[in-house]
Amino acid sequence: MSSKTGEVSAFDYRIQGDRRDEALSRDGVTAPEWGELFASLARHGSTVLSEWRNTAARISRERGLAYRPASIDGNPGEGWTLDPIPWIISPERWASLEAGISQRNRLYEKLLEDLYGPQRTLKERLFPAEILLSHPGYLRALHNLPPGNGIVGLGLSAFDVARDTAGQTFVVNDRFDRPFGLGLALENRTVVNKVLPRLFGRCGVRRIGQFFTDWFAYLGRCAPSGTAAPQVVILDSSEQGKDSELGFLANYCGISRAHPSDLTVRDGRVWIKALRGLVPVDVLWKTMAGRELDSLESENSSARGIAGIFEAIRGGGVAVASHPGSEALQSPGYYPYLPRLCRALLDEELLIPPVATWWCGQPKALSHVVENLATMVVKPAGPHHDFRTQYGSRLAGSELADLKAQILAHPTKFVGQEELLISTIPTSRPGGLVPRGAVVRMFSFQDGNQGIQVMPGGLARLSTESGVIVSTRNCGESKDVWVRSLLEEQPFSIASAISQTHLVSPDLVPSRTAENLFWTGRYAERTDVISRFAARVIDVRFQGFSQEHSIGQEHEDLLLQTLFKIFDCEGHLEDAKDADARLDLILRDRACPVGVTYNLERFFNATQTAREEWSPASTLTISACYEGWNGGPRGDGQREQFDSRLKMLQLNLSAFLGLNLDSMTRDEGWALLDAGRRLERSFIVSGLLSFLLKAELKEDMKALYNESILYFLDSVRTFQSRFHDTPSTELTVRLLLGEADYPKSVSYLLGRLHKVLRKLPTPGQQAHPCDLIEPWIEKMRRFNATMNEGKFRRRETILFLDELFAFLATLSDALTVSYFSHASKRR
Amino acid sequence: MSTVRYHVRHRTAYVYSGRIDLCHSLAHLAPREEVGQEILAHHLDVSPAPHYQMARKDYFGNGTNYFAIQGSHAEFAVISTFTVEKSDLVPVLPDSGLSWDRAWNRRLMVEQDETGICFGNYLLPTASCPSLEDIDAFLAPSLKPGREIMDLVNELMARIYTEFDYVPGATDNSTPLQVVLEQRKGVCQDFAHVMIAALRRINIPARYVSGYLETIPPPGVKKLQGADASHAWVEVHSPAGGWIGFDPTNNKIPGHQHIKIAHGRDYFDVRPLRGTFLGSGGQKLSVEVDVERV
Repeated sequence: MSSKTGEVSAFDYRIQGDRRDEALSRDGVTAPEWGELFASLARHGSTVLSEWRNTAARISRERGLAYRPASIDGNPGEGWTLDPIPWIISPERWASLEAGISQRNRLYEKLLEDLYGPQRTLKERLFPAEILLSHPGYLRALHNLPPGNGIVGLGLSAFDVARDTAGQTFVVNDRFDRPFGLGLALENRTVVNKVLPRLFGRCGVRRIGQFFTDWFAYLGRCAPSGTAAPQVVILDSSEQGKDSELGFLANYCGISRAHPSDLTVRDGRVWIKALRGLVPVDVLWKTMAGRELDSLESENSSARGIAGIFEAIRGGGVAVASHPGSEALQSPGYYPYLPRLCRALLDEELLIPPVATWWCGQPKALSHVVENLATMVVKPAGPHHDFRTQYGSRLAGSELADLKAQILAHPTKFVGQEELLISTIPTSRPGGLVPRGAVVRMFSFQDGNQGIQVMPGGLARLSTESGVIVSTRNCGESKDVWVRSLLEEQPFSIASAISQTHLVSPDLVPSRTAENLFWTGRYAERTDVISRFAARVIDVRFQGFSQEHSIGQEHEDLLLQTLFKIFDCEGHLEDAKDADARLDLILRDRACPVGVTYNLERFFNATQTAREEWSPASTLTISACYEGWNGGPRGDGQREQFDSRLKMLQLNLSAFLGLNLDSMTRDEGWALLDAGRRLERSFIVSGLLSFLLKAELKEDMKALYNESILYFLDSVRTFQSRFHDTPSTELTVRLLLGEADYPKSVSYLLGRLHKVLRKLPTPGQQAHPCDLIEPWIEKMRRFNATMNEGKFRRRETILFLDELFAFLATLSDALTVSYFSHASKRR
Repeated sequence: MSTVRYHVRHRTAYVYSGRIDLCHSLAHLAPREEVGQEILAHHLDVSPAPHYQMARKDYFGNGTNYFAIQGSHAEFAVISTFTVEKSDLVPVLPDSGLSWDRAWNRRLMVEQDETGICFGNYLLPTASCPSLEDIDAFLAPSLKPGREIMDLVNELMARIYTEFDYVPGATDNSTPLQVVLEQRKGVCQDFAHVMIAALRRINIPARYVSGYLETIPPPGVKKLQGADASHAWVEVHSPAGGWIGFDPTNNKIPGHQHIKIAHGRDYFDVRPLRGTFLGSGGQKLSVEVDVERV
């Protein structure tokens, strides 16, 4: 199969009909910038494509990448897939794209300034007034602000660029306000760089790191004047960090990320609720819609933003990028008028035309669109989420009629666009390369100092086989974009460059992050113990103990009752019809509070919301925990097959916890992670011991139950080496309650909790949590002394354990009230 | 020309069942200076005293007051008081000299009124004044070709007055216009929205006005304190120049008894007091308006 000639024909890469291809001309000549890639494919043979794809998928998975937004019905979407074959762009081609995008960015920057100021373009009727005045993104609350307030311009903008069959370049979309894709572009680059390191080197690919550094440095400069060390925060409104592509970016760059409810406006400034109290924020890079940013002034009464932030912006107390009203510019309704707007605002001719567009608010344009509907792409003139783009060529007669009626009822709300036959690029499929239509999303911003910065790279998005470009929010296939350099490129580390911008403040632990670290610790321990329960049950069932079957079953029932009672969810047990169904609650049920999946899911979500805290190795173990468990067979596997997955999960969890013990700075965030672990363990141990003591059992059952409890707590070996005896209730309690040097005993755990919680600041109005623990450490000491002196007293021990169990719940509540109350809980 | 002087007191109070730690509010309570309406003194009293406050003009030139109360509190009251001098000229309906079906010119969209605001703002539908088929149906009987604009507007006002029932409590701030049209009942705010939505459908600029109305007690009866409420009516731009008031709730051209606070595209642009609260528990709202002739 493999060919040494470097000829593309070895892969049977053929262009599609008479469509333009970016790599291969119609007469079969490879564009020079693609030469190295094709040569490399020729050397390795087409089988290497599957290898590359698998490697890319593996790296993405391991690093916890891939943006997975909720789909429209609320279920998790399919996520982005990455084709490791990059889109390679020559320096000459790039230079013209860059010039065109720079100009377009300058143009829109001027337009923004004008529309929120003198409105000359509106008054001179350079475009129809409806496009601006009817746009819900036009925020009258931010109109005509005097200079010196916290208004930043467009901030980051994104432009989708495509080429048609004739080779003409067009802009097909603009994205302002909160353009999607920068984080995904960085993810893609990170992965592809690892899949094709040598090819990357040979091609002399331009680095994108400087762009990120410049962007953050620019954000820093946007801070209200007089701020020496500006606090820059990424405002991310997604409920769970994993839904956001910026989680990766924040982690990579070390910038704090906040949810709107972490922020509050006081004294005309924005503050972030951190463990140490309120910390002022100077610059926000927002990823939520500008029109929902201020819940006080929003026209949409259900907005969940930050009350009072517009006043803070107007008063110059905070800078927000992008300008919250910049969505008003995001309308294809402006496209027909862009050439004249460009002449009026820049005194220049437009370099890259927009795709041919007709705004249906004008009678002539309306009749053109309606008459040619079958060849039109119909888009909303307002916010792009309001209406799903329709391709006339793909609609049946009745659908066309419906669309026509919709347009005629509200013509000002629609535009028609010419459907472009976009050019294709080589795309890997397991058997070889195929051509796929592609659009490149370019990113840029206007830097206060140096004009327009355009990222030398981007996010390429591929059309499906049928040729429709998949909207970003619906996910699809993406590619890295390689811009070839004329100069030698130097390796560039974004993280280290960002750290030199002094925008990173490691002391700042937002309350939400703190809470998620705490719950990461709790769910890690809980998942571990529950997986041990399940493994024990499977062991006893399938791996042959000497006991008779009836004892085995009784024992299993006892274990399950213990587990469900500790977590207060016996109701679930009652609904299960037989022993298998009961075991499946733990192994397979997603909704059972003592199910492995249920707890692992929560563990994973907590880690993702606190994503910026993890080292690369920790991130790897997190995905190993998650993927290892969820990757295996689901419904049809035999129950005994879960055994190895459970053990693997325990191993991965301990790797995660061990790594954090070794690698995290002993700061407040770490203290909460550790406190979560110790609290959860204390809770489980005291619960289990209380059950052990309360159980009225026959001798043989008692021994088995005892051993099981030691097994759950991973203490069998320690017990044996400590006591050289068969497990007895008394010795088990002595070890796990009183043994102060044993890290799994409650005595040790309470001491540890006290020690790590010392690191936390004293909360405003509540007592320091250490003050709550201290009496218990003393109680524990006295109880142990009595236990060691005299005879073991069962009844008193039970009382002590139950009291302790209740105290731990109180302690957890106290931590929540003291440290995790977010800046605002709205009504 | 003589004048009538009023003293107005508008009190909005919230009593919370729990403690509130932080409250942000934006008030549209400062009355506009208008031709025939001179504001002699305006005072806004907020309790507890705000920690931060700022007075500004909004997009439409209305006075706004932003304030934040940053300490724990269980009650919150805003009292707006002012004295206003109104000219007592009896308003007359002008003749625009144009018929409604001839008046439209796209240029009007970007032309500015006396406050510098493009008419487009008052010509396009909004969330509260959407363009609806039922609005067209309501309009239809009045759309006689060649009819003079102000004559048409006047008839629409009269028709809303007779065809809709004034029923306090029949609607609230979130009742969609469609529902108002179906049930043919509502309050002043709804009637203003119906009239605005209808006028915009035929390209006549219309804006929402918030304010107060003096109610005259029967002879010999002392006027009840707090009996008066916030009121809403409509202003329509006449091609002959200027904005003319229409009060569809009373089928009346507003005169000195109508005291104007603010105008905007619809109610949501000029909500008297909006706020967000941080804290727990429920809230109880009470509003009193006194308009006294002095």
